[in-house]
Amino acid sequence: METDGLGTQCPRPGRVGAVMNSHLTDVELRVHEALSSVDDPEYPGVSIVDLGLLERLHVTADGLVRIGLIPTFSGCPALAMIADDVTTAVRSVRGVGHVELAWLAAPVWTVDRIGPETRARLGREFTVAVQVGSSVPRCPRCGTRTELQSMFGPSRCRSVHRCPSCSETVEVMRS
Amino acid sequence: MPRSWDSMDEFEAFLDGGGIVEVDDDMPDVYRDAVFAFIEMHANSELMGGLTERDWIPRTPGLRHKMAVLAKTQDEIGHAHLLYMVAADMGRKTRVEMMEDLFAGRSRFHNVFHYQAVTWGDQVAIAFLVDAAALASQQAVFKDCSYGPYRRILKRIISEEGFHMRLGEDRMMRIAQGTETQKHMFQESLDRWFWPSLQLFGPDSKPDDELLRWHIKSERNEVLRDKWIQKFVPMLQSYGFSVPAPDLSFDETTKKWDVGPIDWEPLKKTLAQGGPDSARRIDEARDNWKRTAWVRSALDRAASVPS
Repeated sequence: METDGLGTQCPRPGRVGAVMNSHLTDVELRVHEALSSVDDPEYPGVSIVDLGLLERLHVTADGLVRIGLIPTFSGCPALAMIADDVTTAVRSVRGVGHVELAWLAAPVWTVDRIGPETRARLGREFTVAVQVGSSVPRCPRCGTRTELQSMFGPSRCRSVHRCPSCSETVEVMRS
Repeated sequence: MPRSWDSMDEFEAFLDGGGIVEVDDDMPDVYRDAVFAFIEMHANSELMGGLTERDWIPRTPGLRHKMAVLAKTQDEIGHAHLLYMVAADMGRKTRVEMMEDLFAGRSRFHNVFHYQAVTWGDQVAIAFLVDAAALASQQAVFKDCSYGPYRRILKRIISEEGFHMRLGEDRMMRIAQGTETQKHMFQESLDRWFWPSLQLFGPDSKPDDELLRWHIKSERNEVLRDKWIQKFVPMLQSYGFSVPAPDLSFDETTKKWDVGPIDWEPLKKTLAQGGPDSARRIDEARDNWKRTAWVRSALDRAASVPS
């Protein structure tokens, strides 16, 4: 796995287990675990790792932690809050000294970074569907293909759809 | 499969047993009316709140706060949109009818949006006090809400309002650590916004409140209001601000704060659209609706063209 000044590139969620074990050190694994406990401010119970925000992670021998995160949208107002939460969570990890956090401009976040388990949870717990590629998002309640109502929902990463079958108002996470 | 109930007793037993009503169900008219009115008021309040927030986009100090205000405006307008969709599905009024009633002053929205936010300190007080009060009320509805479509939308709205409340706390802590001028400005804002925020919970619930009986609300107004008082009175004091309640007292036995008698006249006035800033707010919202008519008509025409 390539390493540069920004740290180790993290595998996508969903493939974490096997890949992580062979590439991350013990302290990196503990940091990763801590990061997996930091919730997205708009989805309590869903972590920033689940949503694919974690891109790079590296811990040096003297305990310096470098974390590279990517925002869902560059104008996201939650960035400062997420950074605070991440720093607080990581500082409490055994073996960690200083924490350096950077918001990376590349790669660009897309919904492909949300793993299948998280997609299912977003549907089940938040009635939020995830639009992958040009596929028509399906209603989280009944599975019917939804119809677009508005490109813009309550946040930049979501549009508003409607289920023609059960009338559910469905928010759709999009890239 | 749509469900129906033979009697009101049967319907209420269903609700008491934790039953969730869905849009296609043949619910009693009185329940439909009550839920519809509740959601319509919530939607109106999100929209009017969003417009207030929008007014502050150009005036907000600093890029970081400006980004947050932009996003919050989109949040509130987005929430209103979702809620109007859910309300319209109940078949009482269309979305356009709800808008027109709002802009004609025929329907209600929360008391706090009948006041003017004069300074940035006011915006901080709103984000800190009002958002917390609104969130507490919404959480109490979500906890036991018997109307499924509303309950599911509330879950997402609450997550986002929780985020607004954190922004409010962040802003409050900044201003509390600011210069004497900033602190003085914030104290003036607290003096203006403390009582309207507290009144957002409404007067004590009636003993036979049907919203409670039908599991639309899960908690009495006075209980929610008291929790808010117990949290914010000591918090404001700990940051060195005073609470604008002349009869404020602390009971050493119950360890509880009492703000003294509450004057409900201002709340009644706002509900009758007679608040200090009601007329300007409604006029502006109506003008905005008129000015954007061309966008709606262009979109409607585009939607009717086969692609």
